Amino acid sequence: MTVKAKKRNKVFDYFKAEDPFSGGLTLCPGCPLELLLRFTAKVLGKEIVFVGTPSCSATVLYGQNRQSWHKLAYYSCLMTGVASSATGITRYYRKIGKDITVVAFTGDGCSADIGFQPLSGAAERNENFIYITYDNEGYMNTGIQKSSTTPIGARTSTTPVGEARRGNPNPGKNVPFLMAMHKIPYAATATLSHLDDLAKKLIKAKEKKKEGLAYLHVFSPCPTGWGFESDMSIAVCRMAVQTHYFPLWEAERGRFRFTHKTTRPKPLTDFLEMVRKFNHLSTEEIALLVKEAEERYSLVEGMTQLWPMA
Amino acid sequence: MITRHKEKIRTLTGNAAAAYGAMLCRPDVIALYPITPQSEVIEQLASFSADGLLDAEMVEVEGENSAINIVTSASIAGGRVFTATSSWGLAFMYDGMLQASGFRAPVVMVNVNREMPGILAVSSGQQDMTSTRDSGWIQVVAENCQEILDLVVMAYRLAEDHDVQLPVMVNYDGFYLSYLAEGVNLPSQEEVHAFLAPLKDQPPRPVLVPGEPLGSGTHGILEGFVELRFKHSTALERSKAKFDEIDALFRESFGRSYGGQIEEYRTNDAEVVLMVSGSAAGTAKAVVDSLRNKGAKVGVVKLRMFRPFPRERIVRALTGKKAIGIVDRSVSFGWNCGPLFMELKAISEEIGTVPIMDFIDGLANTDITEDHIADMIKSVQNAAKGEPFKDVTWVSLEE
Amino acid sequence: MAKIKIHVEYEGGWSDATLPLLCLDTGCWRSERPVVNKDTCTYCGLCALFCPTQCMIDKEEYFLPNLDYCKGCGICSRECPREAIAMVPEAEFCDDNEA
Repeated sequence: MTVKAKKRNKVFDYFKAEDPFSGGLTLCPGCPLELLLRFTAKVLGKEIVFVGTPSCSATVLYGQNRQSWHKLAYYSCLMTGVASSATGITRYYRKIGKDITVVAFTGDGCSADIGFQPLSGAAERNENFIYITYDNEGYMNTGIQKSSTTPIGARTSTTPVGEARRGNPNPGKNVPFLMAMHKIPYAATATLSHLDDLAKKLIKAKEKKKEGLAYLHVFSPCPTGWGFESDMSIAVCRMAVQTHYFPLWEAERGRFRFTHKTTRPKPLTDFLEMVRKFNHLSTEEIALLVKEAEERYSLVEGMTQLWPMA
Repeated sequence: MITRHKEKIRTLTGNAAAAYGAMLCRPDVIALYPITPQSEVIEQLASFSADGLLDAEMVEVEGENSAINIVTSASIAGGRVFTATSSWGLAFMYDGMLQASGFRAPVVMVNVNREMPGILAVSSGQQDMTSTRDSGWIQVVAENCQEILDLVVMAYRLAEDHDVQLPVMVNYDGFYLSYLAEGVNLPSQEEVHAFLAPLKDQPPRPVLVPGEPLGSGTHGILEGFVELRFKHSTALERSKAKFDEIDALFRESFGRSYGGQIEEYRTNDAEVVLMVSGSAAGTAKAVVDSLRNKGAKVGVVKLRMFRPFPRERIVRALTGKKAIGIVDRSVSFGWNCGPLFMELKAISEEIGTVPIMDFIDGLANTDITEDHIADMIKSVQNAAKGEPFKDVTWVSLEE
Repeated sequence: MAKIKIHVEYEGGWSDATLPLLCLDTGCWRSERPVVNKDTCTYCGLCALFCPTQCMIDKEEYFLPNLDYCKGCGICSRECPREAIAMVPEAEFCDDNEA
């Protein structure tokens, strides 16, 4: 007979505040973004100001007429304006002598594409706010279109698979690495299967933003858009880490370290098989994905040796 | 004109005058991005900051779109803000501009009029201003460097007024005013503080505060959206009378008055009136003076407020005139005329069915000379006599 | 003269969270619900941590889903290290008074 362990997982200790969101939100069942939103708010507390943009998250960050889906202060803007709006709010409060926590919260479509210029500008100027990207590798809210973090070969509604075309022809941008190369005080990757790691990074980001931009890139797969069952979301995150597809690392001013190492990585095909957006890939096409994932991993590994974190 | 003894007279370019005006109003957050012919405005502000004369958060942004978003969000957070742009920059700001006015953020921005893209032109023209006429902003236009400084100060008083809460764009001609140095009365800091002080006694506007339940930028649905649009539209209406009121208050404080929404120059007994905006108004007034000396009954209406359109004041000023000319420094695509002409035609029934003539001139640094103005007035006078006339004349093109 | 009745307090588009929060009846989305075996459960709380809707209620020795909001995604069942949660079709409960 198993002895009951009556102690809850230590991740519960990270929660500083109640969940400020309403109980019933307009997000798909099993959506990792929903977990990320509620988790972030519980860890960072109720004094944060969300800055959001039209996206899957906007459906719950923005109010409808006079009512809201959550109790926090927020500022809504367009994808072009997220990093800059977060800057404006932070700068005004800095002028009046208050250190506040602004959390710009967007998908990869904003961070990698249409909002990249202002994000890069804010990073260069070292603005004092937290920027969280939930990377579901596409524009999901508008119907699963390709973004510049969509991996090579992936099927999306604008890179479909047919006689003449075979999914996304490009390998995509390595956004977290690009952000780390701005030498901001903090840039890190995280995902929803490793909650202890995610919580630590959220708390570290809140501290590091006092020195400048803190950037978190969270792998957030989309059951609806990628093609997997709603109960597999966490498993997909975990497999992405275990196959080295999405390594967990952090960088302080360009100095890198892994926060989680998988000693014996699983083959990438274990990850690809879980997700239907890849199920058309030929052996050669899979090899391209494997190559890209290996290069990205070895890049971080190299940086941990070339510019190790103290 | 009374000159206050506290004021100093400095030789300032239009750009410097704009920067001084902004500096005196003590903004909290300023976004800086260069574009000809505005760059000197932000350079002057940066210089003030470096010399310790301006304690503001200076954000050297990476693009105008970021500039407008930064000042809008800082304004919604409760700050007083400033930025400057022109032409392409204004176009790049467009989505943020709609946000500033839709969110009712009292942003003050200087736009140095330059030809809008489509044809690459680093030269003066009002196409940038008229292209954004439906952005929901208040738009005013200056004639000379003194008016630039004064308008910037008045802009804060107007934008932040509780009855208004709208962003204000102060326009002035690039090249003709931006780089022109004139003697400008520089008000003292105390006087500007005193002029803006009544704003503090008004009910406070809602602002974004961490930990508070107000969220900015709610999704407007159905009637909720319609209400917000209606409120925006009626606020623009209210700003007309408010602008006249502020002009009167400005006269009390600084001894200078400009007439409010429009300046009526020798129009009382005029039979024929030319409507002009911007630096060309100065030229027009000089021509009118010399024509008056010869006995002609002519006058100038200087359009100072472009948005909202000063319908009532213009109707009162133009009713009873025998013919009206309007100088357009931009083009309204699809109507084959200038935008100001279109707007006058829209109220022609109220003015009276008299000839209204459009003169498209001054595009891309083609000078609106005294001769041009004199010819325009001549054409309008002929139309007043009943001679056949052209609706729209492109002045610098040969027939 | 205006037909619109102004019931929005502010000039601009502000939402006010002191008013009742918007809330969907997401409990009616699911086609199967999690059923917790209290004896097998070791109270580790991973189900509560991984639940996207954060609807698992802490009963001090085990967790139970809040059926008002549970969307039936099944993550709790899949992630439970003791296999203490089974996803049971809603049809099995349609004779109950409260679904």
